[in-house]
Amino acid sequence: MNALLEIKGLQVRMGEQTILDGVSLHVPTGGIVTVLGSNGVGKTTLMRAVSGVYRSTAGSIHFDGSDISRWPSHRIVAAGLAQAPEGRQIFSSMTVAENLRIGAVGLSPDEQAEEQEKQLARFPILRARYRQQAGTLSGGEQQMLCIARALMCRPKLLLMDEPSLGLAPKVVRAIFDLISLIRTEGHSVLLVEQNARAALRVADYAYVMDGGRIAIEGSSTELANDARVRAAYLGGHAS
Amino acid sequence: MFDIFFVQQLVNGLSVGFIYALMAIGFTLIFGVLNVVNFAHGEIYMIGAYAGWLSITIFAPPLFVVILIALAIGALAGFSLERIAFRPFRRFRDEASLKSKAMREATLLSSLAISIIVREVAEKIFGSNMQTIPQDYLLLTPIEIGPLSFASGQFLIFGLSIVMLGGLQWLLKRTRVGLAIRAVANNPMGATYVGINTERTIIATFVIGSTLGATAGLVVGLYQGAIFPAMGFAPGIKAFVAMVMGGLSSIGGAVVCALILGVAEAVTTSFFAQGWGDLVAYVFLIITLIFFPTGLFGGGRERV
Ligand SMILES: Nc1ncnc2c1ncn2[C@@H]1O[C@H](COP(=O)(O)OP(=O)(O)OP(=O)(O)O)[C@@H](O)[C@H]1O
Ligand SMILES: [Mg+2]
Repeated sequence: MNALLEIKGLQVRMGEQTILDGVSLHVPTGGIVTVLGSNGVGKTTLMRAVSGVYRSTAGSIHFDGSDISRWPSHRIVAAGLAQAPEGRQIFSSMTVAENLRIGAVGLSPDEQAEEQEKQLARFPILRARYRQQAGTLSGGEQQMLCIARALMCRPKLLLMDEPSLGLAPKVVRAIFDLISLIRTEGHSVLLVEQNARAALRVADYAYVMDGGRIAIEGSSTELANDARVRAAYLGGHAS
Repeated sequence: MFDIFFVQQLVNGLSVGFIYALMAIGFTLIFGVLNVVNFAHGEIYMIGAYAGWLSITIFAPPLFVVILIALAIGALAGFSLERIAFRPFRRFRDEASLKSKAMREATLLSSLAISIIVREVAEKIFGSNMQTIPQDYLLLTPIEIGPLSFASGQFLIFGLSIVMLGGLQWLLKRTRVGLAIRAVANNPMGATYVGINTERTIIATFVIGSTLGATAGLVVGLYQGAIFPAMGFAPGIKAFVAMVMGGLSSIGGAVVCALILGVAEAVTTSFFAQGWGDLVAYVFLIITLIFFPTGLFGGGRERV
C-alpha cells in the first residue's frame, strides 16, 4: 500500500496513565483521512505524537518512508509534515505577516513570497489584516491564519485538529471546502473532528477512537451508514 | 544656570540608563523565552569587562578590536552558561516543563551558583581590587559642547547602545532566529508545531543577551575605570528593576524604564549624596510591584 503516514501500535503514556494504547492507522498519498471520537479519547494526543510534540512510548510512525517517532518536531516539519493544531496556537503578539513568515520552513525567499501570495489569495481576510497583531483576529480568522501558516512550508501531509471548533456555520463550511481543495493541490490530510457529519463528507476513510484505541474504521460511506457511528456521532440531525 | 546643570545631569543619566538598558535586554530576552531570571547576568557583564581589559594589557589592540573581543567572549560565556546552568534542567519536552515552576526554581539556584563561582574564580585569579586601565584606553577625554562637558565614554555609550539596540530590532524583526526567539517567547507550544528548533533558539537567546551584557560591562569599565569581580552586581540589580518596571518581557518597556532609572538616579545624586542614587532603583521597584504589578505600561502581554 502506498502509505504516506503509517502508524503502528502507537502507545503514549503520561506518568501512570496510558493515553494512547496501540493505535494503528494510515494515510495514503493524496488521501483525506479523518479521526473521530468524543472528548478526551486521545485524538489530540495522537496528533501531538505524530508531530513530535509528545514522545510515544511504543509503536512506530512512518512518514514518507522514515520512522519519525524519535525525531524532534522541527525535523518532522522540515520533512513535510505540518499541523494546524488544536487551539490554533498562533503567535498572538506577532503580526499576521510574521506568523506566515515563521511557517515558511525551508523555503527560499522567492518561494516564500510566492507561497505567501498563494495563501493571501486564498484567505483575502489575512491580506486585509496583514500588519495587524494576530491576537486581534476573530476566531475564524485565527483558524485561517493557523491553516495558512501550516501550509506555508508546502507540507506533503497536513494534520488538522478540530479546525471547525467554535466557529460560525458559514466559516465551518468554508473550512471543509478548503480541506477538499488543498487535496487537489497535492497535500494529503489527516483531520481530527467532532463534527462527524461534515468530516465524513470530505474524507475518504475514517477512524473512530475510544479510550485511546481505534474502535471502528472504514471508508467514509461505510462509517456514515454504520449503526454505531450514526447513534453515537451523527445523532438525530437531518442530513 | 540651573537649566544647563539639568541638561548635563540628564545626559549623564541617559548614558548610565543605556548601560542598564543593554543589560536589561539580556534579562528580558531570557525571561521571555524561559520565564526564568538569569542570576549570572551580572557576571557576564564582568566577564566582558575583564575580556577587554586582558586584551588591552596583553596586546593593546585598537578600541574596536577590544569591543569585538568582549562581544565574542560574551557570546561564548552566554553559550556556556546556558549549557551548564539551564539546559540540564530542561529534560522534558512538553509545554508544561519549558516554563514550569520547578525549572524556574532549579535554574534560579543554578544560575546563582554559577554567578558566585565565576566571581570567586575571578577574585582568585585577578584579586578583588580594581584593575588599572592604561590612560590611552580610558574614555575620559573631556568633550566640551558650549557650557556642557562630557566624557568621550559617554559618546561611545550612546553610539554603541544605539547601534546595538537598532541591531537587536533588526534581528528580532527581520531574521529567522529573531522571529524564532519572539515566537518561543509568545507561544512555546505553537513554536514546536511550526518547526522551530527550541533548543537552538534558547541558545541564541543566551548568546544575544550575553553579548549585549558583556559589551555594557566593557564600556563601563573603560569609562568609569573600574573593573573588579563584583562590578556586575549593582547594574544587575538596576537592570532587573528595569525589566520588572517594563513588564518583565517587553524589550521596549525595559529600555524605556532603564533610561528613566538612569536619569532619576543622576538627578537624585545631584540633589542628595551619592548613596541616595542607589536607593532610587529600590524605591522604583517597590512602587512598581505595589501599583503596577504588570509593569508601567500595563498589559505585560506584549512579549519580547
Ligand atoms: N500532558 C498530559 N498529561 C496528562 N494527561 C494528559 C495530557 N494530555 C492529555 N491528557 C489526557 O489524555 C486524555 C486524552 O486527551 P486528548 O487531548 O488527546 O483528547 P481529545 O480526544 O483530543 O479530546 P478533545 O476532543 O476534548 O480535544 C485525556 O484524558 C487528557 O486528560
Ligand atoms: Mg483534542
